Amino acid sequence: MSNVRGETGAFSLPDPDNEAERERRHQVLATLLAAYADGEVPIETASHIDAHLLGCVRCRRELDVHRALRRTLARDSIPAASAELRTRILAGIDAAPPPAPARVATTGPWSVSATWWRDQTRVVRGALALAAVGLLASLALAIGNGAIDRREPSATPLAEVAVPSLPLFGQVLEDYRLVSAHDLPGRSRDLATVREAVPFPVEALSLAGLRLLATWTTDLDGEPAAVLAYRWRDQLVLHYVVSEQQLFRPSEVRRAFAGGRLLAARAGAQSMIAWPTAAGGALIVGELPIEELARVRAAAAGPR
Amino acid sequence: MFVKPMPPFPDTSLADRQSRFQALVLPHLDRLFGFAGRRTNSASDAEDAVQDACLRAWAAFDELRDESVVRAWLYRILRSVLSDTHKKDGRRRQLVSITRLEDAHETMVGGDPDFAFAEVVGRLDREALHAALARLPDDFAIAVELHDIDGFKYQEIAEITMVPIGTVMSRISRGRRLLAGALVDNRAAWALGTDGNDERRNLARRLHGGRKQ
Repeated sequence: MSNVRGETGAFSLPDPDNEAERERRHQVLATLLAAYADGEVPIETASHIDAHLLGCVRCRRELDVHRALRRTLARDSIPAASAELRTRILAGIDAAPPPAPARVATTGPWSVSATWWRDQTRVVRGALALAAVGLLASLALAIGNGAIDRREPSATPLAEVAVPSLPLFGQVLEDYRLVSAHDLPGRSRDLATVREAVPFPVEALSLAGLRLLATWTTDLDGEPAAVLAYRWRDQLVLHYVVSEQQLFRPSEVRRAFAGGRLLAARAGAQSMIAWPTAAGGALIVGELPIEELARVRAAAAGPR
Repeated sequence: MFVKPMPPFPDTSLADRQSRFQALVLPHLDRLFGFAGRRTNSASDAEDAVQDACLRAWAAFDELRDESVVRAWLYRILRSVLSDTHKKDGRRRQLVSITRLEDAHETMVGGDPDFAFAEVVGRLDREALHAALARLPDDFAIAVELHDIDGFKYQEIAEITMVPIGTVMSRISRGRRLLAGALVDNRAAWALGTDGNDERRNLARRLHGGRKQ
């Protein structure tokens, strides 16, 4: 076996001494032809492919396909964005508050789409449009900028809710109880694999004394979630990462976040806290007082 | 990554920050619009997505510390906006069987040695190419488009799509094979101007004729 390591990863090339091995070698190299055509393989890998191409008609044809498509797509003309779009964006930026981390939305609907904005401008241009854009931008600020997250966690007020009022809280609590009553999932995946498995970013919490034990994926009410298990002062803390849509669905959640508060709940000896992240939502749950859980949550306030 | 741990953004006036934002973002509007146009049903939907992305970018502007990655940063935000929109709309693309496309590709590569794929592809117009791209699963189409149309490197695509670079490599490789399969699968239609005409006309309308006034 020979190993080829480059910026696109390490590849093991089978010994070409027999037919089966040659076929395996062909299969491995065939998967690299696109990267080879794009100049994205290191020199030593390119040398292996050069040698293989000399004797492999099929790979030469495959390479021609990659090159032809790349060449043709590169000629694709770029449609021009309309002047109206530029005007709308500039008006939106003018009307929006500056992207200061401490700013949060104070009122209004959570989800204001551009379609809604455009329709409104048709009806009442001027003041109404400015107000709508202001709302949109400040609401987007609350999610996109993670402004709430950047506050000093100890100073971030908590909005305590009853677990039954929020289905997601109930599901997380149920999952936590199930996991904590048994061994942690036996075939825990590494964080990179979990990140690849869910359609939103997953960032581990980082805090002295907080040790990541395992990560895996699950589903909450049929929607994917990543779970990270930590040890914190001999207690199990589970960190659920969910999609933005799932977290923000209840109006109670949107109101709390728009008001600059995090959501918290108690259920017996267990507590949980939820907060929005740059492109998703996070919840932590553990058998800890809410105040202590809030300190653990502080780990999420670092730079993203 | 796009966000680097650096000291807080220095105090500058709002007007300066707006000017800087405009100088950084507006030059990329056309390409952003083109990318959105390939993933939405009309020019107005594409414009809405780009507008939403720009407003989100403005809201998060202080997180951008390295101006050299602004284009990739904008694409990542736009991709997130489009993903949200598709989930909200429950939009599903009309895909053909991947197996069928792979078979078409395999037959072409292993078949008639006189079939000049490059020549056939070189004669296709953009609507035909875009219609073929639209038949691919989004992950593959996005990887191919970001590289071949928008000119991103593999590492940048990994950051935009938030997957490992090995996955990008695999998606581009398989995406082009599927695209070749889709083109070969339909080449008779493209050549004869029959089956594909409706699809081509729809695509042309989407980007050029579907703009709401």
